[in-house]
Amino acid sequence: MDDQTPSLKAQLYAACEEACSGDPDRLFTQEDLTALDVIPPKDIKKLLQLIQILTNERLFAPVHLHSGLAWRLRPEAEAAKYKQLTSHDQVLVYEIIDAAGAEGAWQQDIKRRLNVQDNALRKALKELETKRLVVQFTTVENISKKMWIKANIKPSSRATGGPWYTDQFLDEAFIEALQSVVMSFIKNRGSYLSKGERSARSVSPVLPKKGVINGAASEAAIKSKKRTADAISKDDAPVVASAKTRKTIRLPLPAGYMEYPTTEEITAGIQAAEVAKGQPLKQEHVQELIDVLVWDNRVEEIRMGNRIGYRAVRISKQNPSLYSKPGDEDFWESRSNGLTTVPCGKCPVSDLCEEGGPVWAGGCEYFDQWLA
Amino acid sequence: MNGNQSNGHDLENGDPDDPDDPDDPFDDDAHYVNGNGAGHGIADDSKPIEADEVYDTMAQLIAAGVVESVSTTMLQSPQDLKASVEQECTKEFPNGVRGAKVTSEFDMMVKSQLKAIGAERASTKRKLQESALYEPSNIKRRKLANWGMSNGFAGDSGGSILRDEPNTVVRLNFDKCLVELRNQKLIEHAEDFVGETTAQVFAALLASLCRKVYRCQHNQYTIMTEEEEETYFTGVRVTTEDIFDHLCPSVDLSAGIGTASEEDIDVRFAEKIRKYPPQVQGARLNGTLDEGDEILGSDDEDYDRTGDRPKGPYANGHGHRQGSITQNGTKLGGDYSGEGQPSRAEQIYQMRQHLLILAEAKQQFVRHCGQNEWTVDFGPLIQQIRYVELDTMIEDNFGRHGLRLTRILREKGKLDDKTLPAMALMRKPDVHVKMAEMEMAGFLEVQEVPRDNNRAANRTMFFWFFDEARTLKRVLDNAYKSMVRCLERLEVERYKKRNVFSVTDRKDVRGQEEEKLRGDVYNEYLEYLDIEKKLLSQVSRLDDLVSVFQDF
Repeated sequence: MDDQTPSLKAQLYAACEEACSGDPDRLFTQEDLTALDVIPPKDIKKLLQLIQILTNERLFAPVHLHSGLAWRLRPEAEAAKYKQLTSHDQVLVYEIIDAAGAEGAWQQDIKRRLNVQDNALRKALKELETKRLVVQFTTVENISKKMWIKANIKPSSRATGGPWYTDQFLDEAFIEALQSVVMSFIKNRGSYLSKGERSARSVSPVLPKKGVINGAASEAAIKSKKRTADAISKDDAPVVASAKTRKTIRLPLPAGYMEYPTTEEITAGIQAAEVAKGQPLKQEHVQELIDVLVWDNRVEEIRMGNRIGYRAVRISKQNPSLYSKPGDEDFWESRSNGLTTVPCGKCPVSDLCEEGGPVWAGGCEYFDQWLA
Repeated sequence: MNGNQSNGHDLENGDPDDPDDPDDPFDDDAHYVNGNGAGHGIADDSKPIEADEVYDTMAQLIAAGVVESVSTTMLQSPQDLKASVEQECTKEFPNGVRGAKVTSEFDMMVKSQLKAIGAERASTKRKLQESALYEPSNIKRRKLANWGMSNGFAGDSGGSILRDEPNTVVRLNFDKCLVELRNQKLIEHAEDFVGETTAQVFAALLASLCRKVYRCQHNQYTIMTEEEEETYFTGVRVTTEDIFDHLCPSVDLSAGIGTASEEDIDVRFAEKIRKYPPQVQGARLNGTLDEGDEILGSDDEDYDRTGDRPKGPYANGHGHRQGSITQNGTKLGGDYSGEGQPSRAEQIYQMRQHLLILAEAKQQFVRHCGQNEWTVDFGPLIQQIRYVELDTMIEDNFGRHGLRLTRILREKGKLDDKTLPAMALMRKPDVHVKMAEMEMAGFLEVQEVPRDNNRAANRTMFFWFFDEARTLKRVLDNAYKSMVRCLERLEVERYKKRNVFSVTDRKDVRGQEEEKLRGDVYNEYLEYLDIEKKLLSQVSRLDDLVSVFQDF
């Protein structure tokens, strides 16, 4: 080793540091290092020597790529931590945890890779933990796994589950609250609120009833007769509904409306409303919420050229109030059909039901309740 | 069904039709299907019906296609008919049907014979249609003159044609009835998804469109008349004017749509013309709209420019009216009494807005297929309606979360245990419980893929999936089963009250139960009637469901 080596080493490290200032995870291959113009060209021996020194000092971390060997830069503060390590086991264990980064390393995995005794591994981890170099954490993907991570970084969003998890548990209340915010945003921006007020002159004895379609013109008398038949079959539900009809409802907007909110706008809206303070929601998270609402059949996608907006389904049947309290129905009139009203639709023993069988319609308790 | 008939109760649920409406001759078809139609009308009217009236009504029904005159060929099954026609034709070829040329000649002959049979079947109908009374322009005139109130006929030519052929045998044309019932269902759905006024516009569209739609489903044995064949291959379409003529004048077209500032509306998208029907991809519920988009993606300029707001005497009052809509978007027709009726052009403009909303809806109720031309793609639309009904059932049985999971599976195909909870933003144990529940009920299936040879459970991947065809079939089965159970229950209820019936079945009691029966017996009788009503209306609702899944 000549006098030049320490200074060259420092120069190479500085050059690398500068080269990767934009991207701390940049990898350097041999060609990259030669191209930095620190070492004389073609002096591969020198380069090898320098890399060896830097690697020993933990300033370079070797990475195996399928194309060959490369090195990642390790900050000096990080490298200094290796100096605290006292045993060979500690170094090996710490190296693995260090390499795993934000994803963390599974204890079983470390053991398998090092092929060490369980006791030795546990001892090394214990020592590292007391030196405050590593901490244990749990990942949402598998709560029972013992995971280790460097003490100074936070687990990745994959391990924590992103904004939806609080202490490794899916925060369902949080999700639900956010969903209703998204829903009200979409409802508000993509529909028209009709107050249903009537001016004095339009008060007429023949009031149209919402919820009944006029296939053709019909007179109120006949209509109301049909309503009664309707009400009987639907178990009181329509009676309540018709009482609500004269109140506020939401109306669809004209075709070609361009302002149905997009994911971007909804994200901005949530940020502006500051409903999720301390848990910044990115666009992809909001997209997840919207997707779920689409699958729930509450919201639908509407394309206008390249713009993908969202609007509420069955808008005139949506609960018109902007903010839903927990327990509120989404629609003031829920959909029903023959199989939802008949007891058989929900019957758990429907497949066993036959005349002369263990259960049959004639002695069915669900029918008893329904007909009572 | 006896009790039902005598009570004059309507089996229809939410049935929007109106027997007194002269513009819709199909009103009564629903009653017929339920077996209580004819009696129903007679029971309600106190004065006896004149023979002329019956002829006229029959003429109207035949012209509309709801009732058809029967010819001998109709008593044969379509297969037999074709076979016999083929036999007839073979006689014309004494040397046998061999070779490409002769075979095609033979086929042509069979085809033309079948067509002739079809034409013969429709001859009475044609005659009645030709008697000018039933032409749409006349209907409109009648409508304008009477404001849609009268049930009478301007002339009696339709009836007189029938009277000249007193031996005409008629029967219900179930194919046409199904078309009309399908319309009712679609209108119901349009009302549910969009709104009441829009549904009325949709009803007008269907009424005018379905004059040329003769049946819901075609198969190889269907015998078509020439005009039907024509519309079958080219598809039917109606113009905006046609629809407007079928629209009930009392519909307030200004209601039912919210207002938005004009710069937020892009006419190019609103008026986009879709020349081709959406592709049905398997049974995929969504994506039909995008499908059409892709086809027309290249020519962005293809939109209807005729939809501009009319300029004219109403341009002035326009701002004011818009303001009043803002106040009450659901107001009644007739609100304009102070201002007079809006002009025809203005009304057509407003009606177009409703049509455009229907075309834009995810379900694509309507397709804007040309300049001022509209059509309905029944096949894809009904398929979507089936899924809507299915979703309704799933949501009712398994809640919002169950619906979410099945819809994810429908969209994504097969998914494993891990991906599903992450997508649905649900906790894993919750997902497992829901999935197991739905699998038990037959809505979901699971596939096991072992990762190694010993098939241990922890080395096996479980993929959930949603078998669309099978589920639809299962739902249909369940509907039939439930229907049977309702009827079964009705028998039991009748048996339970047999002592009551031993009295009410007596001739001197029947019809005046209230006076003749002792108080407690009468109450029991009423109880039974209540139960019967519930059960029978339930059967009818299930019947509706069966038609959606099978007949439409």
